[in-house]
Amino acid sequence: MTEYSRMAKGSFTSTGAAQIINLPFVPDRVNLTNYTSYAAFAAHGIPWANWSSAMGQGFAAVGYVNTGPVLDTAVVISGGISTFQAGLMLQYGPTQQIIGITAANPAVVNVTAHGYSIGDTVIMQGLYQSATTGMPQIAGIPFTIEAVGDADHFTINWNASGSNYTALSASPTGALVKKVLYPFLYLPEDNVVWRITTGNTTTVGTTMYHNFEVGQEIAFRIPAAWGTTQLNSLPNPLIPGQPIYGYVTSITDNWTFVCNINSSAYTTFNVNQPVANVPGQTFPQVLSVGDINTGGNIITATSALYPPPQFPTSTNRVSTINGPAIRGAFVNNTSQGFIIGTGNAVFQTTADTSSHLVGANADVIYWQAFLDDITMP
Amino acid sequence: MSITNTGNLGPLILQSLAPAMLYVPTPTMNYITVCDKISMPANGGTTCRFMRPRALTPPTIQLGNSGIDPPAQIPQRDIIDAQMAFFGTGCIINEQVILQDQEGVLAWVSERLAVAMRQAEDLILRDYIVSAASEINAGGGSNGDNPTNLGVSDFSLVATTLDTNNAYKFMSGIEGMDRFGTGPVRSAYFMLTSTELQSDFDGLTGLGFLSQWNYPTNASALPAEYGSVYNIRILTSSEAPVARGASLKGNDVYYNTVLGKQAITHINQDGYSMNLIYRDPYYSGMLAQNATLAVKFAQAQAITQDTAIRNLLSTRLTNLGV
Repeated sequence: MTEYSRMAKGSFTSTGAAQIINLPFVPDRVNLTNYTSYAAFAAHGIPWANWSSAMGQGFAAVGYVNTGPVLDTAVVISGGISTFQAGLMLQYGPTQQIIGITAANPAVVNVTAHGYSIGDTVIMQGLYQSATTGMPQIAGIPFTIEAVGDADHFTINWNASGSNYTALSASPTGALVKKVLYPFLYLPEDNVVWRITTGNTTTVGTTMYHNFEVGQEIAFRIPAAWGTTQLNSLPNPLIPGQPIYGYVTSITDNWTFVCNINSSAYTTFNVNQPVANVPGQTFPQVLSVGDINTGGNIITATSALYPPPQFPTSTNRVSTINGPAIRGAFVNNTSQGFIIGTGNAVFQTTADTSSHLVGANADVIYWQAFLDDITMP
Repeated sequence: MSITNTGNLGPLILQSLAPAMLYVPTPTMNYITVCDKISMPANGGTTCRFMRPRALTPPTIQLGNSGIDPPAQIPQRDIIDAQMAFFGTGCIINEQVILQDQEGVLAWVSERLAVAMRQAEDLILRDYIVSAASEINAGGGSNGDNPTNLGVSDFSLVATTLDTNNAYKFMSGIEGMDRFGTGPVRSAYFMLTSTELQSDFDGLTGLGFLSQWNYPTNASALPAEYGSVYNIRILTSSEAPVARGASLKGNDVYYNTVLGKQAITHINQDGYSMNLIYRDPYYSGMLAQNATLAVKFAQAQAITQDTAIRNLLSTRLTNLGV
């Protein structure tokens, strides 16, 4: 080791899903030890793995237990170790052809081997089945995937069961989807609304993780075509000029929250938008305008004494790398580090689809990450 | 007869460094220009808090002759919080570089670090605005996309929205003068947009767009100002946010941020912003081989008047040059 290299180590308990490790640097070398796989020697295990930036993104060289079970060597050629620098927005992954989308509530998107996970955010384009039919109404809206049915299907939060939606099928030309790489760098963000349940309180569903906290002060922007314009912060008929805001009173899940606005007499939200209206159509939105909180996140058994903000705000919460802040504050969520993927061990060109670099659920994994001073060549 | 030429008596030193460095292409940084700026005090915690009083109900109902006072009002306020974050980067330069290179390495690296720091400041504000401000999709253009390209009605719509929200304009108008080809400029909000849309703006000449060069006087025009449409003056930059291929038809989507005063606030902490740090090789290892040059700054940002800002999303009508 020389004077300016960087080293870090840590451990986590695998959930079976790709694991993001935030670091104060982007490593050029990573070592993994799956302690559980060492302790319980069994087929499909990957007890250790090594990665160097020279291998390329998504690769790894691994120790692998074959079906013997006998310890062997193998490689991971996709879904291995990759690094990330989440510092700028509006970056996207590769586009993929959409085979179809169900005209249902919620809509299910069919893409061959999409590779997405719950929590990934995607946007779509095209979505015409014919010149005048299809689902162009949802093109350009960012959706955080709500469920993954299988390798070829995922679910988005949108009610496409209305008469103006026509299911997409047979891979329409130009119907594409791509991943939004870093959708949550600054939080909480402006959100597209996909459902509103009116009543003494108002329940709101968003297409992305809303990232609101209880006590968040919010404003609505509902264009006339979508119905519930009475939620809009302006104009205010009683105190002209003063915006009308609501407050989040409970978080239902990462896509749904309840606010204190009594919307019993308000117009029903209308998501059934005609295709002909799509050019130039503005989407209904809800955004943070402040909060009424006075403290930060509450300590938990595994958290720091003064926990930093965590997003999303219902389940699968991940801490930002900054210090504590008032709940509901505008925060910076930029980060860098590496990702341990779910890629399979490939032994002599044959992939073992039951082996995963990130291990199985409940596996305990230790990692070391390095940024070396000298790299040759 | 023998002629001595550079083939048999070449110069001892083949190269000579030109006296001036070449310029570094650097985008115009518009976002910091339009921000309110405040400094959070030292020992002030992690989070900057803003308070905005709410309007009281105007007493439009007469008292009558009962002699009874009307009920008192309860004053209320809105609170906006923003968490401070810290940023920095630097270079480690071996003393042999400083000793042996002909150009002033430390000088130009310092300059580049300073520019990188300023650019980071602007990009952070840019991306925050993309994330946090609400959006209006342009619908006044003719390309049938969602959003469409910008039509003059989009400028009118967004200015009307901000006016209806009682936002404060940045600029007072410029009165018309008796100068050929010029026209008066309205009091205006700013639009921060991409240089890639300049040809679209030129296409609106005669329809509402007035080039900055056609202002009666451009004394108040900012260096990045391209022109104006109705109540909006347009500042362009090559670093303005563009979502590539994100429209209905797969075209680029431009985030044209239209805002009034106090819409965005930039926050530093106790003048911590913008520190350039040089450490002599003396402070490195036992042989004192390496100097370091670095910059760091503290920054937070908040939308402090959500009613005074909109991202007007649009596509582009004209083709791009390459």
